[in-house]
Amino acid sequence: MTIIAQGLSAKRSGRTILHPTTVDIKPGERVGLVGASGSGKSTLGHALIDALRAGGTRVAHVPQSPDEALDPLRSMAFHWREAEQALGLAGDDARRLQLFDALQIAGGDLGKRPWGWSRGMQQRFVIAMALIGTPDLLVMDEPTSALDPVVAAGTMDLLDLYLTDRETALLLITHDLGLAAKRVSRLMVMDTGRIVEDAPTARFLSAPQTQAAQALCAHRNWLELPC
Amino acid sequence: MLRVEKVSVRRGAATTLQDVSLTLAAGRTLAVVGESGAGKSTLINAILGLAQCAAGHVTWNDAPVTHCRPALVMQEPRAAFNPRQTLRRSVMEPVVAQRAPTNPDGLRMLCDGLEIELDLLDRRPSEVSIGQAQRMGILRALIAAPPLMLFDEPLSALDAVTQKHTARLIAQMQERIGFAALIVTHDLGYAAAFADDIAVLRAGRIEEFGPAQAFVTAPQTDYGRKLRDAAFALGALERVA
Repeated sequence: MTIIAQGLSAKRSGRTILHPTTVDIKPGERVGLVGASGSGKSTLGHALIDALRAGGTRVAHVPQSPDEALDPLRSMAFHWREAEQALGLAGDDARRLQLFDALQIAGGDLGKRPWGWSRGMQQRFVIAMALIGTPDLLVMDEPTSALDPVVAAGTMDLLDLYLTDRETALLLITHDLGLAAKRVSRLMVMDTGRIVEDAPTARFLSAPQTQAAQALCAHRNWLELPC
Repeated sequence: MLRVEKVSVRRGAATTLQDVSLTLAAGRTLAVVGESGAGKSTLINAILGLAQCAAGHVTWNDAPVTHCRPALVMQEPRAAFNPRQTLRRSVMEPVVAQRAPTNPDGLRMLCDGLEIELDLLDRRPSEVSIGQAQRMGILRALIAAPPLMLFDEPLSALDAVTQKHTARLIAQMQERIGFAALIVTHDLGYAAAFADDIAVLRAGRIEEFGPAQAFVTAPQTDYGRKLRDAAFALGALERVA
């Protein structure tokens, strides 16, 4: 069933930072939400998650920074157990090891607290938590910004593999059109709190309509910059 | 010319840099790439004289490198400034510290080149955008006209469009002024587009060092190839047919 959230909006200090917006995503669809810093991408992500969860849709969220997902006073084992319990699942070491192996964090000490792990490992732990169940939608906000390129590429490949043959849809929030264009089939562009463009990736890249989209496209590739 | 010759740096019992040799000529750009913990920041600290070399030495035109007063542009644009001071006061600090004469024309020229409106100088770091703050960081580094500029992940806090805009401004200033630039980055796309040479650091050692174009088309080591392929997979580099 298509995931639909209507009338999403947000204000901060009296200023509208997200104008009323409707988002619809098909099962298994991979959608990118791109735009400049401050355009409202993360705000829309949060509003969407809140609205969908309130309506009973299962949404897994990987926030921009592992600090937002992990409690510094709790052990990694605690976080994992909590995530399993939230999904109503019994503990399953085989499942955990499979995810840890794939994300190359099997060497991490679960007895430690988050700050006993490197940031890159924390981020991959959060991604692993998001993949425990089979959510209707996975929202990832700049999932690779804390990762080294080799690990980031491996993580995105793993994610592709995970999403194949699943009904789980992906919303990838990023400022980096180059990254999004490789991983999603549909792109939404945000500019000053509004979705200004929404198109299949191929059409978007070949014929961006709005100024914000044109700027993103023109600056997609380091080796072909406009001068 | 910057010469890093057989430099080793130790922290406690651990060796963070091992036998690192590099050169960077005036007016040229060297990108240093590698994963977290590879020793990229230690290399910058060794060049700035902030990390002591256990072996080897770093020179600029055959004199100790610190004599040329290299300048640093930092990763987190706003955190790099005193939040309570105006940007103008922070930006002018190198001039004051080096007891150099203030040169209003020079400041105007730099602001013009970096697309900084002069009235922004009277704001505080929290009152400008991240992109503007980073251009201020570059302005502060350039203000005392160092022949050698060090950039520690100068673009990683910026969005994709601002990254490319800032990279272009740095290159334009370099063309105009002629400083040598050593840029630590994890973004191979940036390195390929703007650097003359690329050095790959891994676990404190130089894995590869050579012309940027040659690296992108044909990395010499397995690890170099992994890095390059990761850049393809992340869309940071487009595969050239």
